[in-house]
Amino acid sequence: MISCKNIVKKFNNLEVLKGIDLDVAPGEVVVIIGPSGSGKSTFLRCMNHLETADLGTITINGRIVESKESSLNKLRQEIGMVFQQFNLFPHMTVLENINEAPVLLKKMTKDQAKKKGLELLKKVGLEEKAHEYPNRLSGGQKQRVAIARALAMEPKIMLFDEPTSALDPELVGEVLNVMKQLAKEGMTMVIVTHEMGFAKEVADRVIFMDGGFIIEQGPPKTIFEAPQHERTKEFLGHLK
Amino acid sequence: MSEFLSFTATYLPYLLQGALVTIEIAVISVIFGSIIGIFVGLGRVSSNPLLSQLSRFYIWVIRGTPLLLQLFVIHFAIPSVFSSLTLPPFVSACIALSLNAAAYIAEIARGAIQSIDKGQMEAARSLGLSSSQAMRRVIIPQAFRRMLPPLGNEFIALIKESSLVSTIALYDLLRTGQQIISSTYLYMEVFLLVGLIYLFLTTIMSYIVGKIEKKVGAYE
Repeated sequence: MISCKNIVKKFNNLEVLKGIDLDVAPGEVVVIIGPSGSGKSTFLRCMNHLETADLGTITINGRIVESKESSLNKLRQEIGMVFQQFNLFPHMTVLENINEAPVLLKKMTKDQAKKKGLELLKKVGLEEKAHEYPNRLSGGQKQRVAIARALAMEPKIMLFDEPTSALDPELVGEVLNVMKQLAKEGMTMVIVTHEMGFAKEVADRVIFMDGGFIIEQGPPKTIFEAPQHERTKEFLGHLK
Repeated sequence: MSEFLSFTATYLPYLLQGALVTIEIAVISVIFGSIIGIFVGLGRVSSNPLLSQLSRFYIWVIRGTPLLLQLFVIHFAIPSVFSSLTLPPFVSACIALSLNAAAYIAEIARGAIQSIDKGQMEAARSLGLSSSQAMRRVIIPQAFRRMLPPLGNEFIALIKESSLVSTIALYDLLRTGQQIISSTYLYMEVFLLVGLIYLFLTTIMSYIVGKIEKKVGAYE
């Protein structure tokens, strides 16, 4: 479903990604862990071209991602993204946030979009907030709206960039629950997170990145209980 | 005091006529200045180097030279070379003030657009919106809200600066006052009245801008 080959990304002279290969199968949930500065967010952002890789190819659904604006816009409609800082549109209500892209890009009527939007809000448990502005929501609620907004385009892949890192600890659970539900429904997901408990429970595969490389990857059980590489051991040791 | 009141009763209608000219010029220049200014501001933040350099040049020239000079260039200098470009004073005044305000409004627009968190653009693009759709639907509506306070200042400045048009034989508020003085020699009374009318106009302007600010700021 996603195939990344030899991805290299530099910021000025700093090489952040040093040649990364990754294939993600349909329905697979891949969790990327690693210390900050390891390049995991940058790698995720390369997948939908929020960052343009300097080298390497990314294939999504069998199509090579070109950096041409029109083909990128099409591609991004198929890849939902959820950000650490939510990035809801503050001048739109919750429902307008969700409906914006479908109405603009899928030429849905307002009524169709509204119906769909309310269904999505129900799914994330926030129906009653449809007409609130984002600033009236808690962080956890904002992030659930952001997930609903990404789902409104009916993406085939969802990318999560540290979706719970900006949340108060007691609000993390509600967001993770929505993500678990999505995983259960068979969504293909790539998640950058520090929530190791979540990774253990939901991931099909855990990837440990450090210094711009994938150091180690495997099923969560192996990575967490029997890591092979020194750096993985050290990183997981720090967390305990 | 009663003398001042009877004087006011006699001359206020003339001054109000002058004020009407001032209002007309200000309103027209606010509208065209804002439209041109927003386009120049968008040009300034554009990734197209030609557009951004052109906008930068425009802002540099207009902000770097006096409004009075710009007014003279449009009303006297250009027609002296191209006589077909001779314009009535009112039109010259509106063009000069609009072009001048546009440069300042462009900088206000640029500042507002650049102040919007870049996550907003990323979120819009990640949903598949093109960059112009994202600008139109996500960035500009939020930037507009932030533009309002400095824009209010600019509009108030514009009302006051419009008094410069009295130099090209246009009977605006100030010029009308000067004309009354030339036959009455009542400097204090006339300028006091003229000042009060300007104050009234700028107060109305800040009231309107304040109202709009409240309305579009509902989400904050």
